[in-house]
Amino acid sequence: MSQQNAVLTAPRLVRPRTVVVGSMFASAAAAMLFMGLIVIYLVERAGVREAGEEWFPSGSIEMGPPGFVFATLILSVFTIQWALQAIKADDRVNAFVALALTLVFAAAVFNQLWFIIGDTGFSLAGSDAAGPSGQEAQFFFFVINGAFAVFLILAVAFVLLTFMRALAGQYSPLQSGGIAAAALFWNTVVAMWAVTWFVVYITK
Amino acid sequence: MTMTESPPATATGSDGDTAVPRIASGLHTWLTTSDHKKIGLLWVVVSVLLFAAVTVVGAVLGFERADADSVDIFGGINSYFQMWTLYRVAFAILVVAPLFIGIATVVVPMQIGSTNIAFPRAALGAFWTWLIGAGITISAVLIGGGWGALDGVTSDEADAISLTLLGTGMVIFALLVASVCIATTIFSMRTSGMNLSRVPLFTWSMLVATSVWLITLPVAASNLVLAYVDLHHGGPATFGNPEPVAGVTAIWQQVDWVVSQPQVYAFAIPLLGILGSIVPVAAGARHVNHSAMIGLIGFFGFLSVGGWSQPIFHDGTEDFLFIAFGLVILLPVLGSLAGAASTLAGGDGIGLKDTHLLASLGAGVVLLAAVVSGALRVVEPFHLIARSTTTGVFNLVMVSAVLAGVAGLWFWAPKITGHQLSGGLGKLVVLDLVLGGLLLGLTDLVSGFLETPDFLLAPPVSSTADALNLISAVGAVMVALGALGLVVGLFGGLRSDAASAGDDPWDGHTLEWATTSPPPEANFSEPPAKVVSEAPLLDQSGSNESEIV
Repeated sequence: MSQQNAVLTAPRLVRPRTVVVGSMFASAAAAMLFMGLIVIYLVERAGVREAGEEWFPSGSIEMGPPGFVFATLILSVFTIQWALQAIKADDRVNAFVALALTLVFAAAVFNQLWFIIGDTGFSLAGSDAAGPSGQEAQFFFFVINGAFAVFLILAVAFVLLTFMRALAGQYSPLQSGGIAAAALFWNTVVAMWAVTWFVVYITK
Repeated sequence: MTMTESPPATATGSDGDTAVPRIASGLHTWLTTSDHKKIGLLWVVVSVLLFAAVTVVGAVLGFERADADSVDIFGGINSYFQMWTLYRVAFAILVVAPLFIGIATVVVPMQIGSTNIAFPRAALGAFWTWLIGAGITISAVLIGGGWGALDGVTSDEADAISLTLLGTGMVIFALLVASVCIATTIFSMRTSGMNLSRVPLFTWSMLVATSVWLITLPVAASNLVLAYVDLHHGGPATFGNPEPVAGVTAIWQQVDWVVSQPQVYAFAIPLLGILGSIVPVAAGARHVNHSAMIGLIGFFGFLSVGGWSQPIFHDGTEDFLFIAFGLVILLPVLGSLAGAASTLAGGDGIGLKDTHLLASLGAGVVLLAAVVSGALRVVEPFHLIARSTTTGVFNLVMVSAVLAGVAGLWFWAPKITGHQLSGGLGKLVVLDLVLGGLLLGLTDLVSGFLETPDFLLAPPVSSTADALNLISAVGAVMVALGALGLVVGLFGGLRSDAASAGDDPWDGHTLEWATTSPPPEANFSEPPAKVVSEAPLLDQSGSNESEIV
């Protein structure tokens, strides 16, 4: 009996979707950058407090508006997941509505951020009256909120891209990777605000 | 009616070259290509050229330090500081990391049986961003920027320093994008049957390396953001202060950890993978313990995570974690070398005739010298933290990584250039880099025991230290000569009349050797068969008794 090598056809691969995995790595890198800022902030703040000095001037930061930002972002988490589930169910109308709502919530967050920064009266360099520690606190306030805003802009661009692609007929129940990737990055950015909210605004 | 699903014909190898594809391979192709092999070649060529430039800077720095009394090549302490810092940063993120990224961009997709890299346009964009960022960084240093200044700063110099930070940030961003592309490729584009425990060791080491870079280099980016905003937009001058406090600038303090222990080891992670890929092929046998190597490379990667070690977080001398990381990292290096030795001993009578084997073993030896030096540096009684030992460890790690890059280039040249590189020249380069690297690094280690500081352009503390500085400078010149040889060797291989390579000149074990040299555009003319071990070609060569066909 002759032995013959069979030519096997490779079975369909069950690998994680490329764009989702790429988004996962990119989100991890973005999160590490942001966490780097947060950890340095915590170390510097602890140093100032150990020296018995004031970090933010008392009463300079309101509790309400940052909470509203967080609430808005939580709503956007639901809408971005809604868009993903809608695409998986081949319900394009719901997907369009959900993606559009996500972008509306993002606009609301930018508006609230603008209000918060204006309300504090802080400046990047800090006023002379604030003293060295107060100046450093105001500097960090701008850097961390600014970094969050930059990441939010990137997330909005990502969602906008998926929105346009969905409008152009892309994505289907079997090919929802683009929206899943956008949702992953969006949720990472929301997590960044959760950390900011707790570290910068709640524990001040 | 007959329907065919044959893919359109693609240029396959040098035999198929005609005038048309040659014309097409002009600048437009290099600017727009989505072929991972071309993208990888861009990374490799530019990083090798920068290696030559960096080693020239290193040699000049060495001679300046060797005769600090009478030589004033740079025209002042500040210029010396700028070049000293540029040398370190450039060696790590303009030479070593991009060299490995280049080799991986070419080789990894083929090793895992993929037709291309993930996000090829992003990978190409990463290269051009990196190149522009590198140009900005180097230019900014040359016009008076850098990572701070030791003798006061004019407003123009402050702008140049801001530009340096911007360029460095661009370089790091580009490395991160390239890392995402490589890690995603490995994670989600492996061929059938190739689970993570079966990926070739070089591919595994690149997954570990890119993962470590993805979680640590963003922390460096956050340091750069703080420094840039502080300096350029008028902050409290805590992070972006360009002038020295206690002998070192705040900006450099925030960058220095990237090129110091333990983070510096992260740039050498692929070395262990290259060693683990080349040795079994040279031995003609499987690696004695592929699974253990996977664990050891992962462990080495874990121990090289260093974002926490920057001065903002600890003082670097008494931290238990810092000392433990510095000592324990000896284990994965020793384990990898032991695995290589066992594999060679169990092989079928190899000789040390191949450049790539010599280079990979040389890289292992120099890395061992680096981790031993690093272990001595963290041991508290020696007080070597702020001494020249720091430079010694850095140089040893960098030279070992470049040696691994040389091994990879000579080994995978058939897939990268389509030709074999000169074996004779390669051996000279390896010998030169090993000896030069050891001279360069070990003399700084010994100088550290003589209380020579890490950065100080001042008369040496003793005549012995003076002599060691001179020996170190000679080592730097040898490394520069090795870099020159590497450039000549690589460009010799890129010439169309270079010695042609067979498809599998080394009897390789992994999938990149199952295709032509150079590979076709989609890498494989047909999908690879299901993989059942870490050495699929070795399985196929013994297919009568193997479980795969």
